[in-house]
Amino acid sequence: MSILYFFLYLLLVTIIGLLYMGAARKITAHIQNRYGPPVYQPILDVLKLFAKKDTASHGIMHSLGPVIAYTGIAATLLFLPLGNHTPLLHFNGDLFVVLYLLVVGPLGMALGAGESANSNATIGIARALSMMLGYEIIFFMATLPVFYHYGTASIYRVIQAQGAFPDWAAILFPISFIAGLFALQGLMGEKPFELVVAPHEIASGPMVEYGGKYLGLLQIWHAVGIIVETGLFVDIFFGPQSILWFFAGTFIVFFATVIVNAVMPRFRIEQAVRFYWGLPLLLSILGILQVYIWR
Amino acid sequence: MTVEETIKKDIETTFGELVRVEIERKHRVRAYTPRNMVLPMLAYLKQRGFHQFTLLTCVDWIKDGKFELVYNLYSLNYNVHVLISTKINRDKATMPTAINVYEMAFDYEREIHEMFGVEFEGHPRLDEFLLEDWKGIPPMRKDFDTRKYVEEKYGMKDLTKELFTRKEQPYRGPGSNG
Amino acid sequence: MKLFKFAQSRSLWMMHFCTGCGAVELPPTMTSRFDMERFGIIPMATPRQSDLLLITGYLTVKTLKRVVRAYEQMPTPRYVIGFGSCTINGGMYWDSYNVIKKLELYIPVDLYINGCMPRPEAIIDAFLKLREMIDKGEANAWKKYIENYEWYKKNQAEVFDVEKWSLKK
Repeated sequence: MSILYFFLYLLLVTIIGLLYMGAARKITAHIQNRYGPPVYQPILDVLKLFAKKDTASHGIMHSLGPVIAYTGIAATLLFLPLGNHTPLLHFNGDLFVVLYLLVVGPLGMALGAGESANSNATIGIARALSMMLGYEIIFFMATLPVFYHYGTASIYRVIQAQGAFPDWAAILFPISFIAGLFALQGLMGEKPFELVVAPHEIASGPMVEYGGKYLGLLQIWHAVGIIVETGLFVDIFFGPQSILWFFAGTFIVFFATVIVNAVMPRFRIEQAVRFYWGLPLLLSILGILQVYIWR
Repeated sequence: MTVEETIKKDIETTFGELVRVEIERKHRVRAYTPRNMVLPMLAYLKQRGFHQFTLLTCVDWIKDGKFELVYNLYSLNYNVHVLISTKINRDKATMPTAINVYEMAFDYEREIHEMFGVEFEGHPRLDEFLLEDWKGIPPMRKDFDTRKYVEEKYGMKDLTKELFTRKEQPYRGPGSNG
Repeated sequence: MKLFKFAQSRSLWMMHFCTGCGAVELPPTMTSRFDMERFGIIPMATPRQSDLLLITGYLTVKTLKRVVRAYEQMPTPRYVIGFGSCTINGGMYWDSYNVIKKLELYIPVDLYINGCMPRPEAIIDAFLKLREMIDKGEANAWKKYIENYEWYKKNQAEVFDVEKWSLKK
C-alpha cells in the first residue's frame, strides 16, 4: 500500500516539478520582454524525448547514470515531508541521509558522463564536484542552528517543533536563512552558479552525450530536484504548513531563484567557490554563533 | 618633404637602381623589386620601423607567365603602407621564405602555396591548410576552370539551363513523391 | 500515440549549424522581437539533444563533413531545414570550387527557406510549416536517409572521402 502511495507521490512531484520548470521559462520570458512558451511545455518536451526511437549509448554505465541520478532523488522523497504531512520514513538523523542522497544525483551523472569520454562532460563533472565544496558546506552550516536549537536531526520533528507564523525558524534565525538562500541558488544550479551546465560554454556539460530517453530521464530528475531542494528549504525554515501552502512556499522560493537566474551572468568556477567562502560562510558562522549565545 | 617621400628616398638611396619606387597615393608606397632583393628589402624595412607584416598576396599574370607576390607592410609610427611586389616565373614557381624576417608570413605562405602552388624554399610546413584532400591544380590559378570543375564534382550539369528554364519539381532523391 | 505526435510537433529542439552566414538572422528570431520559444522551439547545444537541424547558408566540403556527422548523431525522428538559397542550388556560390550546391544530395531535407538572407518572419513561418508537416505525418525525410543510405553515401563519397571520415575505426 505504501509503495503505491509512494509512486503516486512521485508522479505528483514530477508533474509539479515540470510545471515549475515551465513557469520558470515563462517568468524568464516575461523578464526578457517575450511571450514565452506555455507552462506545460516541459511536459511536452519530456513526452517528446520519451517518444524518440533510437538513442545512442556509450556503454552500460552511460545508460545507468541517469537512472542512478533519478533513483537518488526519488529516494530523497521518502524522507521529505510535504509540510505537516508525515513522510514515509522518519527517524532521528534522517537529515544526514537526505544530504547524502542529494549527492547521489551529481555522482550518477559523473559515472554516466565519464563513460562518454567527452571532454565537455568531464569539465562539467569536475565543476559540479568542485561546486559542492561551496554550497554543500554553506547549506549544512545554515541549517545546523535550526537542528541544534530544536535538539533533533530529523526533518519531520524539526517541522513539528516549530509553530505557526511567528515561530518559524526563518524568523528565529534570519542570518542562517539568508545564508541558506545563497546555498540554495548553487544547489539548484541557477545562474550565477550555472557553470555545471553552461550551454554556451561547454555545451550543456554532463548532458552533452545524452539524448532521447536518457535526456528525458534527466529532465524528470531535474524537475523532482527542484521540488526536493526548495521543499527541504521550506520544511526547515517555514515550519508546518498545509500541503497547498507548502507548494506555495516552494514556488515563492523557486520564484526568487528564477528571478536572480534571469538577470545574472555566470561565475567562473574559482569565482563561485571563492564567493561561497566569503559572505555566505560568514553569515552561516554568525548564525551558529547566534544559537550558541542563546543556549 | 612628406613621410612618403622620405621613405621613397631612403629606399632609393639604399638599394639604388635595383628597385623602382612609386608613391601610389597618400599613405601608400609601392616598390617593384627583383626576386633576389625581396628579403634584404624586408629586413631593411623592418629595422626602418615597419613592424607589421599585414598581408602576403599573389596575382596570377597568366599571359606574361608570371606570378606577382605582394608583401604588404605597415608602420604605426608613419601611418604608411609599403607594398613590395616582385614577379616570379609561373611554372615551377619558387620563392625564398620570409619567416626568418617576419614570423607572421608563416600562414600566408602556406595559403599562397595551397591556392597558387608557389613553393616557399625553407618553409618548414607546406602541407594541407585550408582545402582538404585537394587533387589537381591549385584553385586560384587562372588556368583552373571553375565551371567545369563544379559541373563535374557537384553534379550541376548545364547550370544556367537548370536555373532558369526548368518548370517541373526539383528531384529530391529517391523515394520521394515530388 | 496521438499525444506523442502532438508533443513531437510542439517541442522542437533546434541546433543551428551556422556555417558563417545567416547567424545574424537567428538572434532576432530567438529574442524578444520574434520569440520562437513561444512555439516550443529552443536552441540546443549538441546534436544528441536536438530534433531539428537548421543549416544556415553555404556549405563548403569541409563543413559538409561536419554536418553529416552531426546529422547522423541526432536521434530519430529528426528534421532538417535548409536555410537560404545556398542550400538549394549554391546561391551566390553557384560556381565556387569548394561549396556544395544541392544539400539534398547529401542529407535529406524536409523544408527549404528561400532567400538571401531570409527574414526572421520567414524562419518562423518555416517552423510553423514544419509543425504542420509533423502533425500530418509528412516530415519523413529521416526515413528516406535510412532507406536510401547507400545512395546518400555514394553522393557524399563523390565530394569527400567517406571511409576516412567515418566513425568506424
